[in-house]
Parts: sequence; C-alpha cells; structure tokens
Amino acid sequence: MNAVATALWNPIVAKEYRTRMRTWRSPVAITVYIVLLGGIGWAVFSALSFSQSGSVNQSGNGGMGTQMFTFLVLLQVALLAFITPALTAGAISGERERQTIDLLFVTPIAPFSIIWGKLLASMSFIVLLLVISVPIFSLVFLFGGIELDQVAECFLVTAVTAMTLGFLGVAFSSLFRRTLAATVASYGAAFVLLVGTLGYGLLFPTSVDPNATSAPAPPAITFIGPAIPLLTIATGQPVSGYGYRFDGGNNGGQFLTTSGGSCFSTGNGTVCKGGPAGIFQGPAGTTIPSGLFKNWQYWQASVVMQLVLCAIALVFAAYLLPPVRRIRLGPRVE
Amino acid sequence: MIAVEDVTKVYGRRAALDHVTFEVPEREIFGFVGPNGAGKTTTLRILAALLEPTSGKAFIAGCDVTAQRTRVHEKIGYMPDFFGVYDQLTLEEYLDFYAACYRQPKARRRKVVDELLALVGMTERRNQQVDTLSRGLKQRACLARALVHDPAVLLLDEPASGLDPRARVEMREILKELQGMGKTIVISSHILPELTDLCTMIGIIDHGRMRATGPVKDVIAGLSTARRLRIGVLGDREAALAVLQPLPPIRHVAAVNGSIEAEYDGDESTAAAILAALTSSGIKVSSFAAVDDGLEDAFMKATSESVG
Repeated sequence: MNAVATALWNPIVAKEYRTRMRTWRSPVAITVYIVLLGGIGWAVFSALSFSQSGSVNQSGNGGMGTQMFTFLVLLQVALLAFITPALTAGAISGERERQTIDLLFVTPIAPFSIIWGKLLASMSFIVLLLVISVPIFSLVFLFGGIELDQVAECFLVTAVTAMTLGFLGVAFSSLFRRTLAATVASYGAAFVLLVGTLGYGLLFPTSVDPNATSAPAPPAITFIGPAIPLLTIATGQPVSGYGYRFDGGNNGGQFLTTSGGSCFSTGNGTVCKGGPAGIFQGPAGTTIPSGLFKNWQYWQASVVMQLVLCAIALVFAAYLLPPVRRIRLGPRVE
Repeated sequence: MIAVEDVTKVYGRRAALDHVTFEVPEREIFGFVGPNGAGKTTTLRILAALLEPTSGKAFIAGCDVTAQRTRVHEKIGYMPDFFGVYDQLTLEEYLDFYAACYRQPKARRRKVVDELLALVGMTERRNQQVDTLSRGLKQRACLARALVHDPAVLLLDEPASGLDPRARVEMREILKELQGMGKTIVISSHILPELTDLCTMIGIIDHGRMRATGPVKDVIAGLSTARRLRIGVLGDREAALAVLQPLPPIRHVAAVNGSIEAEYDGDESTAAAILAALTSSGIKVSSFAAVDDGLEDAFMKATSESVG
C-alpha cells in the first residue's frame, strides 16, 4: 500500500466502520435525519403552496423552488450541526474512558493516524447522510429557479462545515478527558460557527464611508459560518443589508440619496444615478465586493477559512493526543 | 534485554520512582512486586514508552524508551492493569484489528489470530463478541492481543488480578509456555506465592524505591536473617523446648499449632546438630523440616524495613 492509501485506509477506519454500523444508533440517526429533512421540507412546501395559491405562473414556481432550496440547505446544515459533534466528540475521549487508548498508543500507529482514522470514519457517515439527502433536494428542480451548480456549491459548503465541526469535535475530544465535556465544547463550537459568526455581522458590521468607491462587504469572520455563503448561493445575491453600516448611521444601503444623485436598490445590488464619480455602490451578485476576500465567491471564502480552521484543529488534536509529546509548547510540568 | 538505569519519575512534589535500577536478562520471567502505589505501574508504563521518566534511562533490547519509542513498541507486548475492549467486535475481529495496527498483512493476520486463539485456549470463542467475555477471558484475550506482533518482551501489569483460582492457574501455564517460546516477561502482581512458582527473577519495590532485585532464591535468602525449622515431637513438648532454648544457634523457639518452630543462625549442618541434640536428649522427633520463608516473608521484610 502506498502512503496515500495507508493514510486513507488505516485499521482504525475499518474498525470504526464495523462498530458504528453494527449499532442501532446509525440506522436511527439516518432515519431521523431523512424524516426531519423530508418532513419539514414537505411542511414548508405545503406552506409555500398555500401562500402562493392562485399564483400559477412560471416565475412563481421558480421563486418557490428557490425558497424551498434555501430552506432545505439551511435545515440540512443545522441538522448536521447537531449530528456531527455527537459523532466526533467521543472519538478520543471515548477511547480514554473505555481504557483502550493505551492499547493503541503501544502500536506503531501514529497519533495523527488515530485522529485521521476517527475523522475519516465520522466524515464518511456525514457523506452518507448528504448522499441520501440528494433525492429530497432533487425535488426542487421540479419547481425550477435552481441550477445544478448551486446545489453542488451548497453541498460543498455543507460538507466542509460538517468537516469543520468534526475536526473541532475531535480536537475537543483530545483536549478533554471526558466525553461529556468534549460534547458540550463541540456543540458550543457548532453554535459559534453557525450562529455566532452570523451574529458578529449584526453586532459588529463593517463601517462604510458613504463616499467609498467600492461596495461594502460584511466582516471576513462572518464568512467562516455557512449561513451567509449558503444564502448567497441559494438566492444568487448577497444578503441585503447584512454586515455593514454607514458611518452616518444609515443601516443597510437599501436606499440612499446623495448630493447630486440618488441610489436605489435593485435585485442585483444598488444602482446609483447622477452625482459625482466614485459614488457608493452597494453589493451585487455572489462575489465579495471588498475586503480581504475581494472578488471571491462567498462560498469560496467560507470553504478556505473553514479548511484553515480544520488544519488548525487537526494539528491541535495531533499535538494533544500522544501520551509523550515530542514537542512541548511550554515548560515541562510534572 | 531490559535495563532500567537510575530512573526517577516525579509527579508534582511526589516521587513515584526514586532512582530505580534493575536489569532483566533475556528469557527470564521477572516478577515485579510491591504494595499499592509503590511504583510498579509507573515503571511498566515507562518501559512501554507511555510515560517519560523525569530522569534516568530505560532500554528494551537496546532501544531507549524515550528516544526510540516506535522501535520499543515493536519489541514489546503490553498488557495494562485496567483495560477495555471495543463493543460490537468479535474476538477474532478484535485480534485482527490489533494485528492490522501492527501492519501485519491480511493473510498473515488470519494465521496469527488462529495461533493466538489456540495458545490462550479460546478458539471456540472466536465469534463471540469480546465485550461479552468474562473478566478472565478478557484477560486472556488481552494477552493474545499483546502477542499479535510476536514481541520479544511482554510487560504484564497485574495480569492475574480479579481472576478466579482456575483462571490464575491457566494464566500461569500460558506464561510458562510463553517463556518456553523465548519471551522475556515482566509481570507485576500482588499474588506472591504465584510469582514464586512462576518467576525466575524478582524485584521488590516500595515507595518508589527498589528494595531488592535478583534471582528469586537470592532475594529470599538475602532478606532472610534467620532460618526456621518446624519440629514435630512425640510426648512432652516442654522437654523439647527446654533442650532447644539453651542451644547457641537458636534465636527463638516456640510451640506453634502442635509443633515447635525454631529460628536459628546457620546452615544445614547447624540444623543437623540441632536434630542430634534433640535425639541425644531422648526427645522422640516425629518430623523435622526446614520452613521455606518464601517470597511473602521476603516481601514483608523488604517493605517493613522501608516503613520503619
């Protein structure tokens, strides 16, 4: 076996697959996941159908498709935020509690491989959940308004988000001796990633000079979370008014009048007419108009930042795991 | 094969090991005895490269346990005092998993698992879930696990604890068989009589300090300050006591459970002289035997000296 194959398929992975799929928890988790995604999706579809009854034109169906898709991707990422920490928070601490960790440490398997094996097994289960949700998502194509690349991008962001939560879960599992503490910390991290980053954009928006020449973008930290990228992919436009404010206190940029001209929002952003050159333009499309990730897609920034977070969590977990550390960050404590 | 050189391990202000030094030659069974908290598990964990000594060195087959951990892990089979097993795995899968962890090819793993199951007498349980095994069977399964890569050295921390007498005897037989296969075994245990039968060498540790180490007989002899005789007499025991008490080699003599026990300084010829003194005084001696103080007494002496 070459190095890549060895890394991807170590004995931990095979053992985890076996033990995970032999319990009742896995089929129950799959069933609950599908029932919730499908059931709540159907409920939303019914509600949207009811609210749009009488409107039978094509654009109405397309709008419903977009709304359905937006709801489903957000619901999916929320469900995975509940499932992933449960899968990974006990990965290492569970071995400690079960008193099997020393038996692994005396084998030639490197601590990194132990972590990698645990992650790979957990992430495979997440991929399984994503794959079995595809038929539900395919239903939105009946209504139109959603392209295949949007679905692919949303699944990528969702998968990377689940991966990030998984890596954080394993890192906490290495840090804490008890699974309960690791689980609480992992759910806390999931809350921060999904809700905290979103709240950051509301509480600490980017201050925009009304005379700026480029359109504003929310703070870069808000892209770590999946909500904004998923919304921009699903709707094909930025989240209007989120994450920036004008120094004059005029929030959002929905409508702005400047001396000698006027700006107004359209479906594609803010359009300014008249007035001096260099007048403020609002965000448009799904690219980030300014800041650290200027001209990137929102989802691209999110994926890159989350992958960086994964790498940090992986290094952290691999550092914490071995009983005898080769590298010490601080003075030796006995 | 195993060398521990001046190893100290300090936790906070407490020294779990205090300049411990001992050696175990190849193919020996080294019994590591000491009261709870004496430092046995700490020593074994250092030898298993699971713990770093604060100072000192330890070597397994010439490999430094601190600097060459991977090589050390290839040479040792380690069985901790407390261990768990995985749910949802059969015994065969359990052993196969650890054999795979030691990078054994799949074809070889099957053979190794068969051989190990036969060695520990669990072939008929190969399809039983390992978490449903009894304590004794789990101990045997764990011993088999420690052998999946055919290590030269076995580090066994209390392998017989919690086992019933039959399981202990079976475990002892397996260990003897392993010694016959050329393994060097370090075994920590509280069950001292068993170690006397099993071990060729012994180390007594207390409060983190090695009190005595060497071949079992030497350690016992070294810790014994006097020899003991158990003497059975027909008729008047008081007369026998009166004969024994004034004899110069006798340190102490007393009637114990229908016989007489006498502590004396000297060797076998001194014992013969004592017997001659009794018979020449007209005492009818029905039995006359040297009492083997054994490991238990040596252990008590070694540890009581440290307490005192």
